[in-house]
Amino acid sequence: MMAILHTRLIHWKKQMLSILFWLLFPILATLAIVYGTNLIQQDSKIPVGIVAGDDSEIANTLYDSIKATPLIRVIDVTEAEARRLVESHELDSAFVIGDGYEQDVENGRRNRLITSYRSNLSFAYAPVSQMIISLVQQDTSRSKAAHTVIKLSNNSTEQWTWNEIVAKTIEIQREEDLLRTTFSFANTAGADNENHVSLWNTWALWALFSILSTLLLFDWLIKEKRAEILPRFAFIRFSYQDYLFVNVCLYTMLFFIFDLLAVIVFYTYLSEPISLSLIGAILAFRLLIIMGAFIFTLLFRNLYLYYSTAFLLALIIAVISGAIIPIDGITNRFGWVALLNPIQPFLHVDYISPWHIVCIIIIAIWYVKGGKSNA
Amino acid sequence: MLNVTSLSKAYRKKVVLEQISFSVQPGEIIGLVGENGAGKSTLLNILATLQRPTNGSIYLQEKSYKDEKQSIRKAIGYVPQDIAIWEEFTVEENMIFFEKLAWKKRGNEALRQLCLDMSLDKWKEPVKTLSGGMKRKLNLAISLIHDPTLLLLDEPTVGIDLKSRKEIGAYLQELASAHEKMILYTSHDMDEIIDLCDRIICIGDDPFYEEILINSGKAILSF
Repeated sequence: MMAILHTRLIHWKKQMLSILFWLLFPILATLAIVYGTNLIQQDSKIPVGIVAGDDSEIANTLYDSIKATPLIRVIDVTEAEARRLVESHELDSAFVIGDGYEQDVENGRRNRLITSYRSNLSFAYAPVSQMIISLVQQDTSRSKAAHTVIKLSNNSTEQWTWNEIVAKTIEIQREEDLLRTTFSFANTAGADNENHVSLWNTWALWALFSILSTLLLFDWLIKEKRAEILPRFAFIRFSYQDYLFVNVCLYTMLFFIFDLLAVIVFYTYLSEPISLSLIGAILAFRLLIIMGAFIFTLLFRNLYLYYSTAFLLALIIAVISGAIIPIDGITNRFGWVALLNPIQPFLHVDYISPWHIVCIIIIAIWYVKGGKSNA
Repeated sequence: MLNVTSLSKAYRKKVVLEQISFSVQPGEIIGLVGENGAGKSTLLNILATLQRPTNGSIYLQEKSYKDEKQSIRKAIGYVPQDIAIWEEFTVEENMIFFEKLAWKKRGNEALRQLCLDMSLDKWKEPVKTLSGGMKRKLNLAISLIHDPTLLLLDEPTVGIDLKSRKEIGAYLQELASAHEKMILYTSHDMDEIIDLCDRIICIGDDPFYEEILINSGKAILSF
């Protein structure tokens, strides 16, 4: 083992930069895609100016609700700035929460609560204004309900203030959140009530890039079974099978160290949760792709044919995994398609999949058959 | 001593080697000649345990090739026709790489001395920058790491300059005479074979000679 480790270290030393690049590739590519799409999402949000003219609780809640809307980028401005920026089309539109907003709502006033500015190029004005109107209507309806309850309670022993009623309605609304619908990825069930909408499943992306980088780093096997060098391995103190097997184990350990690094990086930068079951699933997935890459590499002698087929295979897996194009329609109709997807068990935090068993059987046959032909 | 008796090799219906018998004594250098496709490399591969004969028996130091293959491999040094080294490594890394996997441990100094004995002094140089002659020397040096008793060389000097060829030849003669190695050597260069070998074995469909003794570096050939 130590002797083979020593020989492997000589190889790794010679290819340090390229090995390091491909080991880090799944982490870097995942971060780049997640950050890149977030940036694009941020840039494509509609710039809307808000003039916060009232510092009351209701006005601040309205401001926060507008700001929390995923597709709007709120810019704080004064009324004069708002006019100028809308005129110069730097803002799509602007809305003024005027001084006395809370008082007006409390008094049950329903007209001229918000002033808006728009230009002839305010394409998003209609949906944005409708959204803000709906938020204001929520406040005014709540106020109206409060006044009704106060009137009704005048005849009863239990007395309610306007503030108490409004607070109670907010509480009920939170508890019985009937209108909100949250979409989330299969393995992120706990991520509801989030305003942030991510287009990607981080671990699915990482898994796809890991498959590609593993296949590309496994070119060592093709390089080492080239016809010229192969006779040398008949005269070493290990069988060729054992030599390859130990090398595969060394590669597995190296890959797994970088997999753990991915867990830490995604936890730090993408707030992905860490758990022992996740690490177990990563290890199971790592073993699967190592075995798959090993079997795949045994089929090739030509390096360039291998590289092009590896890219093609990674692309096919990306498609059938549903990570790029949704394939729910196909998998719902043909359940067996889901079985073809080697990433699915990992994303469901399963440790063993049919692919593991298939790979173990193939490698066992190779080991026994190869051992006999070598003897 | 190497004993080959009635050795035959056929690929399906095509007979490549037929009823070949010879023996090699310690300290002897045998030249193996024949036309292209005559079966020289096949014979060398069989003697190196890389291929199995169809018929016949081979014994190396009274060990049967059939029953004691692993043990026999420890005693064989095989120098393939193609240069079987890592081009991206240095000479030192190549030697250490194969020493780590070899049956016998040598240590860095001994490995370096092995190279120096063959006038291969570019220890730290990357192999890809070496001349063809130097690469051939390294190819030979790697095969000698585990100190084999039988050395099989498949055209080890093809395509290299005269100086390197002479140096390799001198080193092989030294190995045979001083260290009692058995050496089997194939080449297309008859002058080289005559200079170097004690005996010549010719194989092929229509051999113009079979086994020729060479006395004092001068061949006795009969056409």
